[in-house]
Amino acid sequence: MFQFDVIVCGAGHAGVEAALAASRVGASTLLLTGNIDTIAQMSCNPAIGGQAKGQIVREIDALGGEMAINADLTGIQFRLLNETKGLAVQSPRAQCDKKAYQFRLKHTLELQPNLQIFQATVTKLIFDQGKVVGCKTNLDLDFYCRTLVVTTGTFLRGLMHIGQNKNEGGRLGDFAAKTLSQSLLDAGIELRRLKTGTPPRLLGRTLNFNKMAEQKGDTVPTFFAFHDTRQSGDLFHVERTDENRLGWRPGCEQVSCWMTYTTPETADIVRSNLHLSALYGGHIEGVGPRYCPSIEDKFVRFSDKPRHLLFLEPEGRTTNEFYVNGLSTSLPFVTQHKMIRSVPGLESAEILRPAYAVEYDFAPPTQLFPSLESKKVENLFFAGQINGTSGYEEAAAQGLVAGVNAANKVRNAAPLIIKRHEGYIGVLIDDLVSKGTNEPYRMFTSRAEHRLLFNHGSAELRLIEHAVDQGLLTYNRIDKIRSKQNRILQWVDRLEQNRNNGSTWGEIIRREGIQTSLPEEFKKESKPIRDETLYRVSYQGYLMREHRQVEKLSQIEKIKLNSDFNYMSISGLRKESAQKLSEIKPMTLGQASRISGVSPADISILMVWVESGRGLRAQ
Amino acid sequence: MGTSAIALLRVSGGDGAKVAQNIFGTTPPPRVAQHGDYHERGGGLIDDVLFTFFRGPHSYTGEDSLEISCHGNPFIAQKILEDLIARGCRLAEPGEFTKRAFLNGRMDLSQAEAVMDLISARSERALAAANRQLRGSLGKQMGALVDRLLGVIVRVEAYIDFPEEDLPPEDRGFFLRELSSLASDTDRLLATSHYGELLRDGIKTVIVGAPNVGKSSLLNRLVGRERALVSPEPGTTRDFIEERILVGPHCLRIIDTAGLNPSPAPLEKLGMEKTVECIEEADLLLVVLDSNDLCASVPHELNNDAARDKSLIILNKNDLIHNNSTVRQFPYVPHGISVSALTGSGIETLVEAISAHADRFRDGNDEESVAINARHSSALKISRDCLNAALIKLDVNTPMELLASDLRQILAAYGEIVGKVNNEEMLDRLFSTFCIGK
Repeated sequence: MFQFDVIVCGAGHAGVEAALAASRVGASTLLLTGNIDTIAQMSCNPAIGGQAKGQIVREIDALGGEMAINADLTGIQFRLLNETKGLAVQSPRAQCDKKAYQFRLKHTLELQPNLQIFQATVTKLIFDQGKVVGCKTNLDLDFYCRTLVVTTGTFLRGLMHIGQNKNEGGRLGDFAAKTLSQSLLDAGIELRRLKTGTPPRLLGRTLNFNKMAEQKGDTVPTFFAFHDTRQSGDLFHVERTDENRLGWRPGCEQVSCWMTYTTPETADIVRSNLHLSALYGGHIEGVGPRYCPSIEDKFVRFSDKPRHLLFLEPEGRTTNEFYVNGLSTSLPFVTQHKMIRSVPGLESAEILRPAYAVEYDFAPPTQLFPSLESKKVENLFFAGQINGTSGYEEAAAQGLVAGVNAANKVRNAAPLIIKRHEGYIGVLIDDLVSKGTNEPYRMFTSRAEHRLLFNHGSAELRLIEHAVDQGLLTYNRIDKIRSKQNRILQWVDRLEQNRNNGSTWGEIIRREGIQTSLPEEFKKESKPIRDETLYRVSYQGYLMREHRQVEKLSQIEKIKLNSDFNYMSISGLRKESAQKLSEIKPMTLGQASRISGVSPADISILMVWVESGRGLRAQ
Repeated sequence: MGTSAIALLRVSGGDGAKVAQNIFGTTPPPRVAQHGDYHERGGGLIDDVLFTFFRGPHSYTGEDSLEISCHGNPFIAQKILEDLIARGCRLAEPGEFTKRAFLNGRMDLSQAEAVMDLISARSERALAAANRQLRGSLGKQMGALVDRLLGVIVRVEAYIDFPEEDLPPEDRGFFLRELSSLASDTDRLLATSHYGELLRDGIKTVIVGAPNVGKSSLLNRLVGRERALVSPEPGTTRDFIEERILVGPHCLRIIDTAGLNPSPAPLEKLGMEKTVECIEEADLLLVVLDSNDLCASVPHELNNDAARDKSLIILNKNDLIHNNSTVRQFPYVPHGISVSALTGSGIETLVEAISAHADRFRDGNDEESVAINARHSSALKISRDCLNAALIKLDVNTPMELLASDLRQILAAYGEIVGKVNNEEMLDRLFSTFCIGK
């Protein structure tokens, strides 16, 4: 019998962070994957970061996760998005070498103490008295554990569509997890279907880049990991640099992406073949994302838009494969071929892999506590696409939190719960467990009510207390973050108090912008310290407003609700609200207020109940 | 309780059906008026009544309720009330039914407030405004503002969240036009706040003038009874006397003040300072002069544009004039209304003039007009400040995220009035406006 503290089922972006986090905080951990060669595979576009996601990756780094450093060391193009739209919404993004990314992460897992990796497909969970205690695999080997994290991605009853063609599997060329769904259903967990899609991959030497616009990387790249608070030993988290791991000096030898547009001919081809599309032909029951529509959707729903932008993104340094960003579709291969060749620069393009749509099971995340533990089955945690999200970064963030909490449950420690005003990860998980989702959930900066607090450079400072409480960083790094924090606070004070020609430096900065000439001594500080100081000084008034609002909202966040409280017994509460509340079991009145369908009137009633002391006796 | 044709008693709460069963021996079908005898617990017949049972949530409060209509004799209603209390009911606190209706989600906050206004409505105008609000005229107007604001927000958010998308070029002119027009619409609603106050509290009407010109007599005449002590001695009135009266469709909060004496005694001086304060806050000034004082002029405290704009000049004691042409002898007061507080002559003309003046407070078209309350007004003021801040930012090309921060504040402030607009609604609008998706 094989016994572990934590078992993680699945080694995608959620699974690897979960396994690393659990083993790094000291739990003996087993990572099970159907195929070790596809660990941390980028199933869709070869990029990490972007709007809001870039901030998430920096937050993952602040919590000792691996995604940031891995993307930096295997990145082939770095760009900072939104440079002109303000400091808080600037987001780093990187094109990565797909193979280097996954192999470097695989190697990191292999070197991780406390962690065992094994190739086997989980077929069934083992339950005992309402708790999960282990899992069965296709190799007829059973593994036992105290807690278990499920990160199945798109593999649960995965079904791929290319026109009328259907194949079982979570990714082209891979298998589907066919029996695990039943195991979850048997445990009383509700499952629903979602759909996502991916565009075709093209052979680079058959493309004519002269007809496309080049998009280069930034000359001064912005990285995801906080290199300024690391020592050389910390770089790989585990303190050893003697291993010869894949990766290169971050930011060196960047490669370009290419832009082109669809033509009226493309539109005609799509429109005249709509009936052959799996999506439009009615073969797909799952719900797809609004923000990532297939090319069919684009031409149908926005028929007045004459053309659509496409990006050609290289999949790596040692491959000639290109990803066609913007051309996700479930049209038949023949139509895809015609459609591709109607685009300038792609006239003689050869397709290496067709575009396809994939449908899969997900477990509506309102069935989870904010720790990502199931409300239905004790010791069972969920992370990633099974929770209805989309994106590597969203998955990795949940994996990290679920991994820490699975380990915490074993050692009886309080769960890691990041609040909505502390970071995008807090917003992500609170949205999922309070509101649920009807489409693959992706993070947008607009989802955060305190967006201005979430500039990417402050991730370490925002999350340091969580990192310390959970033991996620080395002592070296914690010291460095603390002294960086002190340095910034001192500089903010000095700039607000010291004067130059009658005005304080703070006033000058707010008047003339951060390009203004600053004290010589300040210029000697490191760039991360200068950037964060200037951010705080120039946005002073706005940040104060945000902090005041956080304070105001925290009142209702502090009002705790008992999870086994009988909402049905509150007279006056509307029945549908009472049902929602009983189902979601909010931990605080604040969380209750964000549940869709729970009205301000319901919250007033709950508040009256709490205040009158009738409130929160358990049933 | 006063006498009326019928009196209505309402019992609301989870035990509504039980109470009906207990009194009438039957649980009546919902929403059907029943006829029956009301016996008190001891068995004696009190009255024959009509009663209707409402099953929650299909009732005013959203709870089970029982409505009993009895004859309008206060004694009968009181007896039934006492009997209901004996059966375990309790008296509702003021506004409690509406509060319960709000808590049960039967009405939104602005509707609930309108009901409270309706209950305390003091004049026809106030009643009409409260009725309109109840049907949601404020809700509709706010809805339109929220809709237009969202139109701006989705554009700003699209630029922030989808920088790599092929969006139409940023159009600051559009933002400027939309926000300016939102600002003026918000101002228009804000301007109704004073009108709202006037409707709810009455038009603050201050009677002023030199000592002994007959101010208190005029108050008594307008009120229709001896409200203020009057005497031939100047300075009889030291403290303000306040009364509410109806003039045409308007409610007036009429205040009698101490006389304005150019050379006051020390004690008088104190009263006069208060009078000056009162003058500043007044909506309408009734400036009383003595028709027989040939040198009478408007006291200097009232000799400014602000005061003149809201003044009606009243030439009192016309019963004592012997010569009809006296009025023309006042060069400073060409528009004086000649009255006698003592005999009542000329009072009708004065009432018409007051009514005409009060009509000026009405805001434009009667049908669409709304009158906002203090809570609405403070939310609108916040939104107005943020609109200003946003407009300045457009002018100086501030980063989009700061503009967005102001826009969110505006949306939240509007939401205080009509309910929160959640982010999902914003995203829905965004994705249906723009083709997003790489």
